[in-house]
Amino acid sequence: MASTADADAVIQFDQVSKRYATGQPALTELSFQVAPGEMVFVTGHSGAGKSTLLKMLALMERPTSGTVTLDGQNLAKVRAGGIASWRRKVGMVFQDQRLLNDRSVFHNVELPLVIAGMAPADRRKRVRAALEKVGLAAYEKQLPPTLSTGEQQRVGIARALVSKPPVVIADEPTGNLDPKLSVEIMAMFDAFQQVGTTVLIASHDLMLIKRMKKRVLVLDHGRLVDDVPGSEVV
Amino acid sequence: MATPERSAETGNRPARPRRMAVWREQHAWCARASLQRLGTRPLGTLLTITVMGVALALPLTFWLLLGNVQRLGHSLGQDPAINVFMQPGTAQPVVEQTAASLRDRADVGSVRIKSPDDGMHELSSTQGFSQAFAALPDNPLPYVLVVTPRQGESEAATGQLVKVLKGMSQVDFVQDDGAWRQRLHAIVDLGQRGVGVLAVLLGLAALLVVGNSVRLDIQGRADEIAVLQLVGASRAFVRRPYLYAGLWYGLASGVLAVLVVLLLELTLAKPVAQLASSYAGGLPIQGLGWAELVWVPLAAAAMGWLGARLVSARMLRISI
Repeated sequence: MASTADADAVIQFDQVSKRYATGQPALTELSFQVAPGEMVFVTGHSGAGKSTLLKMLALMERPTSGTVTLDGQNLAKVRAGGIASWRRKVGMVFQDQRLLNDRSVFHNVELPLVIAGMAPADRRKRVRAALEKVGLAAYEKQLPPTLSTGEQQRVGIARALVSKPPVVIADEPTGNLDPKLSVEIMAMFDAFQQVGTTVLIASHDLMLIKRMKKRVLVLDHGRLVDDVPGSEVV
Repeated sequence: MATPERSAETGNRPARPRRMAVWREQHAWCARASLQRLGTRPLGTLLTITVMGVALALPLTFWLLLGNVQRLGHSLGQDPAINVFMQPGTAQPVVEQTAASLRDRADVGSVRIKSPDDGMHELSSTQGFSQAFAALPDNPLPYVLVVTPRQGESEAATGQLVKVLKGMSQVDFVQDDGAWRQRLHAIVDLGQRGVGVLAVLLGLAALLVVGNSVRLDIQGRADEIAVLQLVGASRAFVRRPYLYAGLWYGLASGVLAVLVVLLLELTLAKPVAQLASSYAGGLPIQGLGWAELVWVPLAAAAMGWLGARLVSARMLRISI
């Protein structure tokens, strides 16, 4: 099993378990670390605990036991009032994009910067640069429903990355896309990793994961059953 | 942590001057966003504003109406004068002697003698009967003593004075203006309380209309709220567009209420002026002043904001 020294880890799960109110275990004694600038896939069958793991990083779920540390901060110590500002440290990409359909592409991407309080002139520059990176510079005035699914996903990626968060998490970002578009989207995540962003992607697309040759965490019924370094992915 | 493009906007608190600018910018952004939202469903927005506007226009109209009735009452005489009509044909020396005896009374403040000629002149000029009076062979009007009770006299003492006046031998008829004015004041007072209650009830209705509209808006935008929370929006940020929506609803309905009342004024000004002139010599209708034109929309905006605040506080919670 691959592991990273604790002191350097940007994400650290230490004996994390999650049991829902019904008694059903979602995660069981999960321990792993992710180094800064690393790109890691989390895979497993449906219900393996991939989404629960990501939700813990977004503070949408709290562990029943164990410790989740992000950027040196034990997330159990983040109070309800601090959740919003903490979430700004994590860029999130979803399978269903979760865009605001009555706002333009520009405004969707601008949103995290407005929330963070960036000056309008800086926001404009930053949004245009992000849209340029995902190849949607010409679409800034369009509403999301007028775009294809792949383009909408790219808007979601631009929104997640526009505020340059240290960590980006993506839950099945290629779930609705055809193989060609999936490769394009993964190439984007790869590019962001190249500039130092830590990327954690939940995916069940094994072909795509193999193609990327990145570290893979394999979950089964909430347990970490394998941690494969990128060099060993075949 | 070694992230090369680590940015300051991912959670760190900005410096104080920048914080004010951020506050301003975020408010401007939310105000625009809420206006755009209202614009996306114009019919619903218009209906909400109309219901609120009418609810606000009703107490405003009654308030104006009462104000004018009050003014009418004032214009018909401020002091509690008692008109004592002498018997027809009473000679001037007798009238003067009666007036002098009344002035000696401790409960009388002043006595003014109004001659038949004075009465004729007054009637001719104020009520438009000049041609009818000109046709009369002689002046049929009696002497009138306008008796003003001493200032501070109680209602009972004034009533006693009226009794004494009625019992005097040369007196034909005593008209106590104070009595009907008191009745008018009582009616206006009752009306004011009624308008107050109506204003509170209709204001509450307007508050509920805003609250319900905002509640529906929040329910219809659950997905959007979830997205905002996931990208790090604080509860205040998520809530702000709904507060602005309440503010816009209130402001627009306040303006509508003012417009409705101005329209009523315009429609009723002429017939009311004609009616008033036959009683009080042409008292013009008093409509909304500049102050009301400003405070009514502002108060309505504050009410809309309050309604939105009450509802959004209950409905918006950061999900965890």
